[in-house]
Amino acid sequence: MDDHHASPEVIAAVFHGVAVSDATAIVVVEPVDGALHVSWSNEKAVGLLGYAREDLRVLPVEQLLPTLAGGELKLLLRRERAVRMTLPVRGASGALLECVVSAVPAPAGRRWTVRLTSTANETERALRATADAHERRFSTLTERSPIPTLLSEQGMRLAHVNDAFCALVGRQAEQLLGTGWMCTVHPDDLDAVIEEAAAVLGGGGEAGEGEATARLVRADGTERTTVIRFSHLFTPGVGAGFVGTIEDITERLAFEARLAHQANHDPLTGLPNRTLLADHVAARFRPGEGRLACIFLDLDNFKVVNDSLGHAAGDQLLVELARRLRATVRPGDLVARFGGDEFVVVCQDVGEAAAVALAERIGEALRQPVALGGVELRPAASVGVTVQTAEHTAAEELIRDCDIAMYQAKAGGKGRITVLDSQARARAREKLLLVAELREAIERREITLMYQPIFSTEDGTAVAVESLARWQHPVRGAITPSTFVPLAEESGLVSGLGLLVLDETCRQLAAWDAELGPAAPARANVNVSALQLDANLHGHVESALQRHGLHPCRLSIEITESALMKDPAAARTVLLELRDLGVQVSIDDFGTGYSSLAYLRRLPVDCLKVDRSFVAELADGHSEITSAVIALASSLGLCTVAEGVETLEQAEQLALLGATYLQGFCLAAPLTGTDAATWFAAQHDAEARP
Amino acid sequence: MSAAPSLAVPPTFDLERVLASIDTMAAQRPVAAQIVSVANADEASAKELSRILASDVALAGRVMKLANSAFYGMRGRVTSLQFAVTVVGFATVRTMATVALTDLDDESRLPEDFWEVSTSLALAASTLAPRFAERPQDALCLGLLAQLGVALLHHNDPDGYAELWHDERSFAGRRAAEVQRYGISALRLTSVALEQWSFPPGMVLPLKQVDDAASFQGALLRAVFEIAGRLTDRDHEEIPIERVSCGQLRERDVLPVLDQVRVDAEELRRAMLG
Repeated sequence: MDDHHASPEVIAAVFHGVAVSDATAIVVVEPVDGALHVSWSNEKAVGLLGYAREDLRVLPVEQLLPTLAGGELKLLLRRERAVRMTLPVRGASGALLECVVSAVPAPAGRRWTVRLTSTANETERALRATADAHERRFSTLTERSPIPTLLSEQGMRLAHVNDAFCALVGRQAEQLLGTGWMCTVHPDDLDAVIEEAAAVLGGGGEAGEGEATARLVRADGTERTTVIRFSHLFTPGVGAGFVGTIEDITERLAFEARLAHQANHDPLTGLPNRTLLADHVAARFRPGEGRLACIFLDLDNFKVVNDSLGHAAGDQLLVELARRLRATVRPGDLVARFGGDEFVVVCQDVGEAAAVALAERIGEALRQPVALGGVELRPAASVGVTVQTAEHTAAEELIRDCDIAMYQAKAGGKGRITVLDSQARARAREKLLLVAELREAIERREITLMYQPIFSTEDGTAVAVESLARWQHPVRGAITPSTFVPLAEESGLVSGLGLLVLDETCRQLAAWDAELGPAAPARANVNVSALQLDANLHGHVESALQRHGLHPCRLSIEITESALMKDPAAARTVLLELRDLGVQVSIDDFGTGYSSLAYLRRLPVDCLKVDRSFVAELADGHSEITSAVIALASSLGLCTVAEGVETLEQAEQLALLGATYLQGFCLAAPLTGTDAATWFAAQHDAEARP
Repeated sequence: MSAAPSLAVPPTFDLERVLASIDTMAAQRPVAAQIVSVANADEASAKELSRILASDVALAGRVMKLANSAFYGMRGRVTSLQFAVTVVGFATVRTMATVALTDLDDESRLPEDFWEVSTSLALAASTLAPRFAERPQDALCLGLLAQLGVALLHHNDPDGYAELWHDERSFAGRRAAEVQRYGISALRLTSVALEQWSFPPGMVLPLKQVDDAASFQGALLRAVFEIAGRLTDRDHEEIPIERVSCGQLRERDVLPVLDQVRVDAEELRRAMLG
C-alpha cells in the first residue's frame, strides 16, 4: 500500500464516522437497471428525510429531487466534476425542503456521494427575517415619509421613488423610475443635477454629499423650485448608488422675493426705492466711459395738496404720477421714488439733449390734469438733469448732482428744468463741503461765542450781553453768521448750532457768576432760529439752565419777527411756555418783516429790538420809524433795545426817544468770554468808586 | 407545438458536452471570466473592476458606451472606466462580461431575432422590477442573460435549434420543445450556467421557477416573456398579463412599458454589442 491509499482500518473509521454523523446528511446515488437510485444513506439523511432506511435505499433520485426530473439530473450528477445546487428535496411526508445539494462523483464516474444541507436552519431563517425586516422598515420609512425621496442602489437609474416625490411632480412612480425622474428636472438645471449625482456616485464631494438647486416641472407644466441633496450609498456586491432628498423651496423663495421686493420698493407706488436706485446706478456706473443720465423730479406744491385735500388724495396723486412716469420713460429706464414727492429717472446711453428731451416729455405728462376729491389739478415738478461727465468718479455723485440741479430749478421758479453745469456743480460742491465742515465745527464745539454788552439808557450801565456765534475756519478764516446760520438752517444743522449757543451762553454766565459775583452780567440774550421754534425749545432752555444752575430770569430768547409770523399761533404756544418758565422773550429785527400788530399784542414778549437799519437812519435826520417803534413798544408795555448804535449822538437821541436799552460798537464791541469778564469787572469797579 | 420528426431526436446533442463547454468558455475569455467571478463579491469595488476591465478593450469600450447612453441619462459625462462601472453598476458589468464570455455578442451564431427578444426582456424587466420588489438593475441583467441557454443550445445544435426557434414562437411552447429535444429547457440551462458562475440566487431562482405558474419568484420573468412576445412576434398569441404575473400587472400597465421598451431597445442592443 503506498502513501496515497489509506489502510482498510482508516477507511472503515472514516466510513463509520460518515455513517453515524449528525452533521451532514449523505446519500450515495448510483444507476440501477438504467435508473438512478439512492443506494446508501447515513443516519442524518434518514433523520432529515424521514424515510425508513430500507425505503430510502431503493428510492429513485427523481423522487428525491422532483425539480430535476428527466434529463435535468445530468445537471447535478456530472462525471467530471462536483456540482452544487440549491434545490427542493422531497421527504417521506411529501413536503419539500430547500437544501444545498452537493454531488461529488466517485473516481469511476458511476456513483455519486450527495450531501444534503438544509438551508432552513435557524440561523439562516433569523438572518433572512432580519434582512426582510430591515427592507420593510426602510421602504416603510421612505414610502411614507413626507420628504420626497429618490433612491438608486446602483448607478444612475432609480430603483425607488416615494409617494411624496410622485406627489411633488404630479407623476406616477412608473414614469419616474429608471431615468424618468430626470425628465422632471427643468432642462436648464439638468446639467447641474446630473453633475451632483455623478459626483456623489463617484464618492466625490464632501463625505459623499452633494446638493443642487433645481426647478422641477410638474405634469401640469407648473414649476417647483427645489434643493436636491444627494448622499452616496454603497451596497457590497452591487456598487455605488445614491439617495436624493428633495426640499421644495418654492414658497420660501417667493416669500424671500416678496421681502426683497418690499425692501427695495416703495409700497405706495410699487416703484424701486432709494436703495434699489443706488444699486441700479452703481451697477451701471463706469467712471469716464458711461453715458448715464439722472433726472430728479420734485413735485411743486405737493404740501398744498396734502394739507387741503388730505393725505389719501396726496397718495392718490403720487400713484398716478408714478404711473405716468413709467409710461413716459423709455424701456429699460429706471423710475424710482426717492422719497416723499421726489422721483428719480435713470437712463443709459443718452447725451444731454436726449435727457433734457425726456425731462420735457415727463414734465408734459405730469402736467396733464388729474381729478382729486372733485378738484382738477395740473401737477408740475421742478426737474434737475445731470448727465455723466469725466468729473464723476462715483455713482452717488450723479444722483447728488441731479438733486442739486433740482434745487436750482426750484430756486429759479417752479415747473422748471435745470441742467447742472460745471460752475453750478462746483458751487454746489463748495457749499456741500462747507456744510460738512460746519457739521464738524459744531460737533467739536469750534463755533465760539462773543458777547456784546447792552446798556441801560437810564443810568448808562451794562445790564446784559447778547451772545453772538462766531466761526473761525482754520483755512478760510472768519465766516460770518450771515453765511453759516442760513447754511445750518438749510442743512438741518441749526438745531445743533442752537443748542451749542444756548449751552455755551449758560456755561459762560455761570462762569462769570463764579468769577465776578455781583459784577457779572445780569442777563444774556440768545438768538433762536425760526426752525428751533417748536415744542422742544422749552425743554432745551430749561435743561440748559438747570445744567448750569441758573435762574430763568438770566436768559432772554431773541426770535426774529419773520420767524414768529410764519405760524403765529404755534409761536405763541412756545413763547407762553418760555414765559411761564421765567425766561424773557425779545423780538429781534423788529420792523423789518411783516408783523401783524394784532398778533404783537397777543404774543407774550417782553422786548422789541429796533433794527440797526432804522437806528442808522437817525444820522440822516430820519427818526420817524425808530420813534414809532419805541412808542409802540411803550404803549404795549414792552421795553426796547436799539441795535447798531454807532455814535454817542445816536445814543443820546435814542435815550431821548425813550429807548430802554442800547447796543452798539460805540458803546462796547463784542468781547470774548474772558475779555467780557475783565470788562464787566472794570465797569463794576468804576461804578463802585465814589 | 410542431411535431416535426426532426425535432423528436437530437442526433448530435450531448448535454454533458454543453455543460462542459460552460467551463471551457472561461478559459477562452479570461478577463470576462474574472469579472464574472469578482463582480458579485462583497469586497468588489469600482476601482478593482475597472482595473480588470481595462485589460479587455472591447468589453471596456462597451461598458463606457452603455454608461454614456441615454439609458443612463449621463449625456457623455462618463469619461473614466471606473466611473462607467459606477454608473452602470457591478451587476451590469458582470452581465456584459457574461455576454462576452458566452459569445452572445456574435449575432451570426444566434437565432435571428435573439437580441431583439433579449433587449425587450431586459428593458421590460427593468421597468417592471419595482412592482415585483426586485432591483431594476438586477432585473435588467436577468433579462439580458435569460436566453443564454438558447445560445448554448444553438451553438451546439445550430440547425436543429434554428428550426425549433423558427417553428415554436411561443415561449412556453419553445421550452416544451427544448425539453423534448434536449431533455432540458434553454432557461434551465441558463440557470445552470449562472449558478455555476456564482450569480446570486436572486437571479437564478426566477429562471428555475418560471414554469411554475403559481410561483411569485418566476412571475416577473413570465410577464416580461409575455411582453417581449407581444413586441417581437407578430403572430404572438396573447396570454392575459394578470395570469402570468400572479396578479401583479394589469393590461393597462403593459401599454406604457411596450412604448418605453420599443424606444430604448435598439440603443441598448447597440451598447451591448458594440
